[in-house]
Amino acid sequence: MIAKHDVLVVGAGCAGMRAAIEAFDAGTDVAMISKIHPTRSHSGAAEGGINAALGNAADDSPEIHAYDTVKGSDYIGDQDAIELFAQEAPGDIYQLEHWGAVFSRRDDGKLAQRPFGAAGSPRTVFAADITGHVLIQVLWEQVCKRDIPVYDEFFAWQLVENDGRCQAVVCWDLLHGGLKTVGGKTVVLATGGAGRQYRVTTNAYACTGDGTAMALHLGLPLKDMEFMQFHPTTLYPTGILLTEGCRGEGAYLINKDGERFMKRYAPNALELASRDVVSRSEQTEIDQGRGIEGSVMLDMRHLGAERILDRLPGSRELSMVYAGIDPIYDPVPVRPGAHYHMGGVETDNDGATEMTGLYAAGECACVSIHGANRLGGNSLMETITFGRRAGRAAAEWALANTTVDVPESAERDAEAKLKELLDRTAGERPWKLREELGTSMLENFAVFRREEQMAKQIEIIEDLRERYPNVYVEDKGEVFNSDLTQAIELGNMLDTALCMLTAGLARKESRGAHARPHDYPTRDDENFLHHSITRWKDGGVELTKSDVRFTKWQPEERKY
Amino acid sequence: MKVAFKIWRYDSVSGERALREYEIDAPEEATLLDCLDIVKDKHDGSLAYRKSCRMMICGSCGMRMDGAAVLACKTRMYDIANEGRVPTISAMGNLPIVKDLVVDMDPFWAKFMAMKPWLQPGYDQPDDGREYRITQERMNVVHKEALCINCGCCVSECNAMESDPEFLGPQALAKGMRFVGDPRDGAKVERLEQYSQEHGIWDCTRCYFCNERCPKGVDPRDAIAKLGAEAIAHGIDRDMGAKHAKWFVRSAETTGWLREEELIPKTQGYVAAIKQLKFGISLAKHGKVRPIPFPHTAKDVGEARNLHKLVREQDRGGAMGHVQGEKALERLGHGHAIGGDLEEIYARPNAAPRPWLPEVEEKA
Repeated sequence: MIAKHDVLVVGAGCAGMRAAIEAFDAGTDVAMISKIHPTRSHSGAAEGGINAALGNAADDSPEIHAYDTVKGSDYIGDQDAIELFAQEAPGDIYQLEHWGAVFSRRDDGKLAQRPFGAAGSPRTVFAADITGHVLIQVLWEQVCKRDIPVYDEFFAWQLVENDGRCQAVVCWDLLHGGLKTVGGKTVVLATGGAGRQYRVTTNAYACTGDGTAMALHLGLPLKDMEFMQFHPTTLYPTGILLTEGCRGEGAYLINKDGERFMKRYAPNALELASRDVVSRSEQTEIDQGRGIEGSVMLDMRHLGAERILDRLPGSRELSMVYAGIDPIYDPVPVRPGAHYHMGGVETDNDGATEMTGLYAAGECACVSIHGANRLGGNSLMETITFGRRAGRAAAEWALANTTVDVPESAERDAEAKLKELLDRTAGERPWKLREELGTSMLENFAVFRREEQMAKQIEIIEDLRERYPNVYVEDKGEVFNSDLTQAIELGNMLDTALCMLTAGLARKESRGAHARPHDYPTRDDENFLHHSITRWKDGGVELTKSDVRFTKWQPEERKY
Repeated sequence: MKVAFKIWRYDSVSGERALREYEIDAPEEATLLDCLDIVKDKHDGSLAYRKSCRMMICGSCGMRMDGAAVLACKTRMYDIANEGRVPTISAMGNLPIVKDLVVDMDPFWAKFMAMKPWLQPGYDQPDDGREYRITQERMNVVHKEALCINCGCCVSECNAMESDPEFLGPQALAKGMRFVGDPRDGAKVERLEQYSQEHGIWDCTRCYFCNERCPKGVDPRDAIAKLGAEAIAHGIDRDMGAKHAKWFVRSAETTGWLREEELIPKTQGYVAAIKQLKFGISLAKHGKVRPIPFPHTAKDVGEARNLHKLVREQDRGGAMGHVQGEKALERLGHGHAIGGDLEEIYARPNAAPRPWLPEVEEKA
């Protein structure tokens, strides 16, 4: 063990940094572990904004925010968590602003708020279309101010359990090589999503679900893994995100005839319906031959140059660099792409998992405030609010307990496993399996899902998992061996994908992001108004369910 | 498409350096980063480079192509491959190489930290606990600096840093400007004092390579100019560089003309000027300076004076003036205004159809 800390945060995006800052302010010795430098985190790629009912642009209240979120979740969001989230969000925004976040402003000097999908009021605070970047920067500044140590370019590989508590993380030191174990009285997972399971995704290469997989391998429950959100506007063909803020600012979605087709699917909300609704509508247009080369078009021409330059300069640049199109003059080809994982490590409202000393926050966690479908702008807010809560809870527990004890066997076992992987000189290269996974997930477990396709996908994943022990790493060096870490990431993605499919196959209904128009086209509250719980047991996935926590909203039909 | 390029490989353990050539098949939309991925996956798994977002926001993949810093994910290879060029890829400059295209960013972050890069709350904290009330126009002062993704491309190309490794450099100084220009920051004067010291604002050589190479339009050199303007506006002008800049402005305002003959006494002081007398006489002999008692006054100096008056009246001194100019330039592309009449845009050749709303029967 190279060091011990009170609180050890794994992952240094918005949730991780917010948790670390909170744990520091609570008086603990806190450190962060991250496989990439904190400012490289994918939170920084969030574009459109962050939701809090400030009421700056129109009447709004936490109550309406909570209701929109419950409805958006297709009624399997946990309502006590959602209420708490909506209540605490405004305070968190003011704090970020006081820390120096460079948000966009109104003429009266207050924070500007823009309309977002499925929101009853313009509620999304933003910084042009680089909101995530601005948040990452302000949080990093606050981390610098506190001089919180960062184990930078440490690849977290295994959580160490001892005495029924999570007490350490075994890492591969990317820059210098070697396994390094860092101890913590408490560990907070904030490792983000796993969109790289799909070939077309908005997610960064780093988004491989490492934290979720580590928790899974420790035997912890993962919740609602079948719900993967497909963002309606990802650039063709790369899957790079164009923010919902484009539609928030008034952009249209049109098919090849110029028809604003959303009128037929969501007559009131149109382009600003919930993301699952818009993605399904687009996919239907494309499937029925009204798209262009597998995409529809995002039309911003009528917004005018000034609004585009002021409010959406990043989206314009992305369109120009990656599609060669200037949205001031031409519409941009977009299609649904894997974007956000609603599921994750099951936690309570303070980020605590089933295991003592282990917490989780952000996309890798499932509280759940997003249920079956997340609203745009709610995930950045979740990273802050629940990052803070998890950091506080982890700090309080660490302050009340004193020891960190890591058995030597933990590191020894890891060394043996690593040696086995590095000693292998023949077999398959990881990229082959990664490509097969990405392509098949997109084909069989995307916007629309069918029984037989899901069953087939389970077979594909099982096959890939059987082949995985034969992958070999070409780079045998110690220094910056990303060939090794990419091989480990592949294993993580395969195991979590199996949980997603297992839960998906069993959910015989259509709810939120889980749409089965061919066999189970409607929501079935009688049989499926519950969370799916998957855990690792005897080398396979065990599926159970748990109750949704209701406070004041009963399920209703969801229309936009 | 076939893409060929060379990579400077480096092994820090053995100290070996080698230029290797690769030829690969890549899709037409491939970026340099995509091409490196193909090399790593299918040709040589030991190739080392950083990557993450592949959409110009994480700042991981700064490297050099034919000696100039780029983000690999922003660099499309189509034209390069078409022209049959075989570019050379190498690690960024001014930072120690760890392996292949990976550099040690520690010196970069040390300079970042030296700027005290966090908001030091000012005097007017809102007493209702809500947000500071600030107009967008005021926040625009730090608009470009806030775009910085810490990729290091500017540092890689910095000529001043090459000769003075302790120079704070374009990225750190741009970060400094991000706080100096923020009306919420209460440590503006302390910052300007600190940044004006040796290895700071005035040690920039104004080569503009940072502006040229920044992939995000931060324009670090402009940020340094804004810091200089703010420092002078706050009376922090002991540095020769500050005095030099000040004299340019003063000279233009009073006579509409740069009075070079007074530049040395005003910048370096009269003692230094006397020491340079011989040089001055030599200049005078060649007709380079005019006799001091009779400065030449430009005919339309009134316009220059009015301009200065306007800046003062509208409180657009310091960085604000720079920002206003930038905002105006932003709306111009190659001398033409961007955008135009919507009907004309819809009527362009091969334009996508005009958007229309279908009629949908209301369901009861």
